Amino acid sequence: MHTVYSRINNVSAMLSTCVMVLLAAISISSYFLVADPKGSIAVSSIQVFPGNARRYANKNQDFAFVNFNVTADLSPLFNWNTKQLFLYVSAEYENKRGVKNEVVIWDRIVRRKEDAQLSVAGRNKYAFRELSTSFKGAAPAHYTLKYNVMPYVGVLTYGEAARTADPVPFPERQELS
Amino acid sequence: MFADELKTLRRLGVRHVLLQVLNFVSVLASGLMIWKGLGLVTNTESPIVVVLSGSMEPAFYRGDLLFLTNPTDARYQTGDITVYKIPGADIPIVHRVLETHDFPPNNKGAVAASPLVQKQYLLTKGDNNAIDDIELYQGLEWLERKHIVGKVRGFLPYVGYVTIAMNDFPQLKYALLGGLGLLALIQRE
Amino acid sequence: MATYVQQLLEGKIDFEGQKLVERISRDTLIAATAISFIAGFATQSLRVTFGLFALFVIVLSAAVIPPWPMYNRHPVKWLPVKESKAE
Repeated sequence: MHTVYSRINNVSAMLSTCVMVLLAAISISSYFLVADPKGSIAVSSIQVFPGNARRYANKNQDFAFVNFNVTADLSPLFNWNTKQLFLYVSAEYENKRGVKNEVVIWDRIVRRKEDAQLSVAGRNKYAFRELSTSFKGAAPAHYTLKYNVMPYVGVLTYGEAARTADPVPFPERQELS
Repeated sequence: MFADELKTLRRLGVRHVLLQVLNFVSVLASGLMIWKGLGLVTNTESPIVVVLSGSMEPAFYRGDLLFLTNPTDARYQTGDITVYKIPGADIPIVHRVLETHDFPPNNKGAVAASPLVQKQYLLTKGDNNAIDDIELYQGLEWLERKHIVGKVRGFLPYVGYVTIAMNDFPQLKYALLGGLGLLALIQRE
Repeated sequence: MATYVQQLLEGKIDFEGQKLVERISRDTLIAATAISFIAGFATQSLRVTFGLFALFVIVLSAAVIPPWPMYNRHPVKWLPVKESKAE
């Protein structure tokens, strides 16, 4: 501590220890600020059309088009350590071969508490297709609204905010007229 | 310029220099042990990674630090942020899982030997990208468990920018290493 | 003039001063960590936390880094120079 240089050295070392403690405290505080908001989701209409697989132009593939309504108030999830909320609607179902599938059909990033009141009547953003190319014989699907809380520092957490009460069956494939 | 230091070194003798070198090497060795130990505990080859691209903005920016684990008994779910490596590409990619397809275990009557991962097909997409990662898969249609390095569990902003700076300005890396080495050898305490 | 500038840059302070500086910086940093955490948690704003912390650090640096005269109040008492024995 006898020269300016060694004082700066010592103070920086103490400073970095304190900053690390502060960051650890902030990330631990997130554990005490838990919230479990719930909402509702319902599928208003679902249709299945044939189409061409993206990669192989000759391969036929079923595409499902889902219109859904989802409402939820997710503002309790915003605390001082929340950087953003990643919301996604996904469909869970088992196809006729026993393969369990979970497909995200819509997502949204919420960065402010004011935007956390969700009320969306939307349709799938992403192509909803089946691994075995056909939805025939697939079990009815549950649609869920899930969220991922991303902190400024610390552990990422996940949760489910809404789930359709009854599973929604896949309709017969409609031919394009 | 180093006349004083060289004189001191010569006075103290070969033993002293060797001791300094040994100290230096043991510090490096313990660092490596901690790193590899962490990798064993989390079951992933690189438990701490730095974000290199902007494809996950606004969640992760270049220079952020990510902590990964790779649980053997849990399946990957949609929404998980995974780090994966395509065989043939050397840089790992940090993107979110868009689709999962779990294949039923092929028991044929026998009990599975371990609850280890069933076969899963995964599709990923970066939050900041408009379309999924199929272009990045270099021919593969789906990602499998074996391509995944780990799942992101924790996050620390900005800290990793040092590694990015050292990659972009390699002179910085050599200058830093050279300076540290010199300091370690000359310091008497 | 040159020695004065060199002295200023070196910034030597006496031993009592060093003890004081150590005490001040340690106590201030611990207090700063606690206060900025509590203030930020109460207002639920990370900006408050880091703003307050940065303020504390700046004030501490100004108080502790430059060699203020108050750190030189107890200069070391050197023994008088002994006459060297003639050969």
